[in-house]
Amino acid sequence: MHPFFQLLKKIIQTGIGKSRLLMATAGLGIAMVLLLIAIQAHTNFYQLLYGRQNQNESADFLVVNKKITNAMMGQSDKSMFTAEELQTIKQQSFVEAAGYITSSQFKVTAAAPGELQFYTDMFFESVPDSFIDVKNEEWKWQEGDGVIPIILPNDFLNLYNFGFALSQDLPQVSQETVKNLPVKITVSRGLLSSQFTGHIVGFSDRISSFLVPAAFMDWANNRYGNGKAAAPSRIVIKTSDPANPTLVKFLDDHGYTTNQDKIKYSKTKLIVQTIVSVIGFFGIVLLLFALLVFSMFIQLIIASCKKEIQLLVMLGTAPAQLRRYLLRQFVPLYVVTGIVAVLLVAVLQWVAARALAAHEMVVSPWPGIGMWIAAAVVLLLVYFVNNRTIRKYLD
Amino acid sequence: MQIQLSHLVPLPLRDKLLQRASDIWNKDVTFSPGSFVKIKAPSGTGKTTLVHYLYHIRYDYAGKVMVNGKPWQDYNKSALAAIRQQQVSIIFQDLRLFDQLTAWENIELKRVMGPAPACTAEQVQEMAARLQVTHVLQQSARTLSYGERQRIAIIRALVQPFKWLLMDEPFSHLDEENTRRAAALIAETCKTQQAGFVLTDLDDDVHFNYDVQYQL
Repeated sequence: MHPFFQLLKKIIQTGIGKSRLLMATAGLGIAMVLLLIAIQAHTNFYQLLYGRQNQNESADFLVVNKKITNAMMGQSDKSMFTAEELQTIKQQSFVEAAGYITSSQFKVTAAAPGELQFYTDMFFESVPDSFIDVKNEEWKWQEGDGVIPIILPNDFLNLYNFGFALSQDLPQVSQETVKNLPVKITVSRGLLSSQFTGHIVGFSDRISSFLVPAAFMDWANNRYGNGKAAAPSRIVIKTSDPANPTLVKFLDDHGYTTNQDKIKYSKTKLIVQTIVSVIGFFGIVLLLFALLVFSMFIQLIIASCKKEIQLLVMLGTAPAQLRRYLLRQFVPLYVVTGIVAVLLVAVLQWVAARALAAHEMVVSPWPGIGMWIAAAVVLLLVYFVNNRTIRKYLD
Repeated sequence: MQIQLSHLVPLPLRDKLLQRASDIWNKDVTFSPGSFVKIKAPSGTGKTTLVHYLYHIRYDYAGKVMVNGKPWQDYNKSALAAIRQQQVSIIFQDLRLFDQLTAWENIELKRVMGPAPACTAEQVQEMAARLQVTHVLQQSARTLSYGERQRIAIIRALVQPFKWLLMDEPFSHLDEENTRRAAALIAETCKTQQAGFVLTDLDDDVHFNYDVQYQL
């Protein structure tokens, strides 16, 4: 240490009120640990939610419809979405894109070729093409084409293979086989009818429906429909985070419902967020008190050495020298406190990562970048506040 | 470094001082660099006040104290500190040592405060030996006699670089022999540093070869 500071040490006694300083340091330490844990817990939770299962997809799709209640039964217009409702949905911050699912307004029958002896009434729906996850060059239709590309829900094939086919002694079919089956599709309304060949181009997990290109749907509804503009009853939403509690609340508030499986995390997320926020809040409150005690401690030192400081200044000690000396008394203290807090959280993180790994949940064994930034910010804040206090009371 | 007084009058003593003749108060006075200045002042004429004005630790005056052409008020705290560390040194009448430090530490404080000390620790030892205070250097300043404290304060003022040394009755508690030694040391150090001094005292004296003498 500079010899001048060694002499200052004898003049400006910082030993006064040591218990107060200890309290302030302990408070700062606990506050930092709480804050860092809150931030780290947040990071971990995000890693768990979005870490691996969603690695390849940046967005998720939700099919939203109105809840069918007993009171609504028989009044299909009550389950329709109006244009305003779609607009409202589109305007929500958590919705990246939203589109109608248009249903067919005509009769559809499908018949399997050859010996399969399969004949069924069915329906079609369509969504804007950007929502289709089976990217396929065959996914297009224009007037005059005799082949309609169709996307089947994965569940449908499973139901057929493991439910229907087994019980009816029918052969099970693979996805490839289905794709190669030309299905005879008849579209009709009254006496008008058209024949098409349905070509299965893919299977979707996103939308549980029989999908055809929007172009075909528009044409067919126009030609075979009842002439009224189609009021859709289902909406598909593209969202980056189906576990977003705001989204779930929005759906609930409007009486909408969706695939519950996809939004099941939202409740957990809400609880975790609340807990993390409470911890973080206490951390911040504690930090403020620690800062207050630090400031009061500095004030106390300066007040108790007022005469000495005056004489020092009179003899030519620069204010900057005094400031530097006083800061030196505190900075190492909270740098050490900060390091201890960071180490503690790092150890906790490591233990947590191991414990979670036992349950096949993967989080990084290292604290996240957010925690490092927070630690740096807290230390800078403490430095800044102390520096200001010293400046204020020295003058 | 030039010090100029321009119609300097202490506000609390204004009426009293303006009734009597003075070489300093309410006059234009210039202390030219390197000169030895003696200001003789009877009690109650503002001797200590003047020294404090010159050192800029009292501000209740009319007129101006100009340092290098600028009034003291134009210097900020850091500039003031730099001047006190490197250009202006002082021996207070009431000495103002730190009781919690030893005599040696009191001297060291001033020696190492600035960016470059004017002398080495060995030279401090020599000064202490010349003023016969070597034996008290390691004692707490609190336990020293007034005469010893005064000699420590004199050494403290000499260990920093300076162009002006302000002295307020610096020998008040020293016997003739010690006064002679202290004055010799001060004169020598001033010559080495090419510095001048302003000394205030109650009576005439022959401790120094003064260049100028004023009556306060």
